[in-house]
Amino acid sequence: MNGMIITVGEGTCGIAAGAKDVMTLLKKQAPEAEFRVVGCVGMCHREVMVEIENPDGQVYLWGDVDRKSAPKIMKFHKGAGDLPKDNLIRSSENPDAETDAYLARQTRIALRNVGHIDPKSLEQAQGRGSYVAIKKMVAEMSPEDVIEQVKIANIRGRGGAGFPAATKWTFARNAPGDKKYLVCNGDEGDPGAFMDRSLLEGDPHTVLEGMLVAAYAIGASNGYAYIRAEYPLAVENFQKALEDARAANLLGDNILGSGFSFDVKIKQGAGAFVCGEETALLASIEGERGMPRIRPPFPAIKGLFAYPTIINNVETLSNLGWIINQGGKAYSDIGTSGSKGTKVFALAGAIKNGGLVEVPMGMTVRQMLEEIGGGSSTDYPIKAVQLGGPSGGCIPASLFDTPIEYEAINATGAIMGSGGIIVMDEKSCMVDISRYFLEFTQLESCGKCTFCRIGTVRMQEILSRICDGKGTMEDLDTLEELAHKIKDSSLCGLGQTAPNPVLTTLKYFREEYEAHVKDQKCPAGVCKGLITHFIVQDECTGCTICERYCPVNCIEGELKKPETWVIDQEVCINCGMCVEVCKPDAILVQ
Amino acid sequence: MSNQSLEATVEPADVQSWIDAIGREPSAAVPLLQAIQGAYGYLPRKAMDLVIANTDVNASQLYGVATFYAQFRLKPVGRHLIKVCHGTACHVLGADRLNTSLNHILGITDEEEDTAANGSYTVEDVACIGCCSLAPVMLIGEEAFPNLSGADAQRSLKKHARKVKEVLPGHEEMQNEAKAKKAAKVQEVRA
Ligand SMILES: Cc1cc2nc3c(=O)[nH]c(=O)nc-3n(C[C@H](O)[C@H](O)[C@H](O)COP(=O)(O)O)c2cc1C
Ligand code: FES
Repeated sequence: MNGMIITVGEGTCGIAAGAKDVMTLLKKQAPEAEFRVVGCVGMCHREVMVEIENPDGQVYLWGDVDRKSAPKIMKFHKGAGDLPKDNLIRSSENPDAETDAYLARQTRIALRNVGHIDPKSLEQAQGRGSYVAIKKMVAEMSPEDVIEQVKIANIRGRGGAGFPAATKWTFARNAPGDKKYLVCNGDEGDPGAFMDRSLLEGDPHTVLEGMLVAAYAIGASNGYAYIRAEYPLAVENFQKALEDARAANLLGDNILGSGFSFDVKIKQGAGAFVCGEETALLASIEGERGMPRIRPPFPAIKGLFAYPTIINNVETLSNLGWIINQGGKAYSDIGTSGSKGTKVFALAGAIKNGGLVEVPMGMTVRQMLEEIGGGSSTDYPIKAVQLGGPSGGCIPASLFDTPIEYEAINATGAIMGSGGIIVMDEKSCMVDISRYFLEFTQLESCGKCTFCRIGTVRMQEILSRICDGKGTMEDLDTLEELAHKIKDSSLCGLGQTAPNPVLTTLKYFREEYEAHVKDQKCPAGVCKGLITHFIVQDECTGCTICERYCPVNCIEGELKKPETWVIDQEVCINCGMCVEVCKPDAILVQ
Repeated sequence: MSNQSLEATVEPADVQSWIDAIGREPSAAVPLLQAIQGAYGYLPRKAMDLVIANTDVNASQLYGVATFYAQFRLKPVGRHLIKVCHGTACHVLGADRLNTSLNHILGITDEEEDTAANGSYTVEDVACIGCCSLAPVMLIGEEAFPNLSGADAQRSLKKHARKVKEVLPGHEEMQNEAKAKKAAKVQEVRA
């Protein structure tokens, strides 16, 4: 098998799906092949993914590879077995229309290298053009030139707020002081998003390249990369990137002999959502509780350790090298009048092709869901998408023709957010999802502002009450009133946006709230207080499996006597374990 | 229930070595706590006292920080740590059920308690671990288990327990009950 090249996707998602096992197995089966490791291409729904290039140049992309299918695939490559059809995603001979559309409809700028290189290899990153921008920048451009190009590109911050990067930089550039900081915000707090994780762990050099560009533009000599604690692989790969870049004189003193010096330290987050907010993040780096500070003074004037500081999001930074290479104009040619370039989204939930996608601004939500996402993954149609996590809101199916751009999305009541999208079908309860987000923000509120601290608790109580079927119609009005008060009287974005999930669901799915309140029904069959589990004795076989899995021992009956099986409703907690394990589907949820 | 046996033994020399490596200034507070928790799985009182005595971080700052961030815990942790993801994708696809079923075989009934009585496992909720397309997900130690149902979670935990030779109290109790039931039946038949 000389000349065969086997590439395994070992991002966090790949590893979780068993990529390490698959790698070991393949190495045993084809010891002579050349093995490569890459980050996540974004097709997380088909993990573990393996690409095999035969000595004759034919390339096969395999998905859902596991212990069982790996040997079959290797047998096929050795010419000794049939084509394992279920695992083949595409091959040079056998292109797959859906997969090709999945990639062809995307415009990959920030993600340009992710999934194509071994993130631990500087050489491979450079093979795809990393740091060319830095050479060009230090040789030919002044910091003002850099800011000018970014201004022409008109890129807005991808961390959620959408503030134009060049404007922010100009403040810091002009701020007095000889010491300035650049901070990369890799806190990625939205609990359903993983764009920044994929970039940091799949292509750390592109993020670092962006930090160099921003630092050069504002005149910073010190940088921090603040990375979430839950992303150990991102920390590991970014650390390696820093070491390699330093050794190659791409980082540190007198970079490439240009006189420009800049170095970066990693700070690991410690699990606080609010630390994604820029002033809280700075407090956290300083070793304090991550409490937001009053602005002004803005960090660009007085930030980390009181020095002028720019905080940019990982994805924002990942676009910068490309902008320097291709010019600001090429970037602003993509997108709409108010929103330029591309945006990366993490698609999850009831969607067929879940994973990471990068689309040009202006594409409609529907195009993204159908042409790239492949539509619903369940038997039910998609009812809504939730954008922006706890700070965002939902867009109902009736508005799926909304283009993906800041103004149009804001007009629906949702926000662009950092890129997390949860796709919801008829089996998702909109009240439950609001309760979920409110519980999250309520726990994560730092406690500084009264309305955010206490108001979110009250909102969450009301939502829990509604989910339990104990809500009243007045509760709905109280929710709205509280929502507006919290928005108006909170210092930072956390409180200002916390009510968004409730407001948008009330706006578009008020009938679901009313069904919970008036009819004591959860239309989606999710809210535990409003459903009951029954055994349909005609379907039951009396196998006893539900009895064994029930955590509260509320199911009883005799072996092989279906007519004896009942659930004690007094004790049942509606956890759904029995539904999950019942083979003949004899348990009914109402 | 206090798990006395889980209290860590703190070597002052270890704590000192972390202080030497990380620093004494107030901004070292978070990394110092991370080093301590990395070694012991929680923040033992004695290690906290050593940091307060030997750095510029005072008690108010240190405890303020330790209680602010979700990552830190002041209670001892079981010999193995299970993290159940409760990010949005995992929530929507039934993460709650993983907790219910894990607690069941671990015999954890008290809502305030997160560690099995025999100190074997601790179950913690975490926000998104970044593989939402494989939801619901849990981690046992560093190992991730994707696409879980409640029953899958139990199976994975039982397998893990066999490998690391831990007893699952809830599971044991269930087996004993089943045995007792069977014995009673046999008695009945005999009689
Ligand atoms: C509660 C809260 C959480 C935030 N979380 C993040 C985050 O996880 N990542 C991020 O880049 N920005 C986050 N932001 C936005 C930052 O405050 C800031 O606007 C951003 O990092 C600036 O970078 P950009 O201009 O490149 O987007 C958050 C803001 C708020 C109010
Ligand atoms: S929501 Fe669980 S991994 Fe993202």
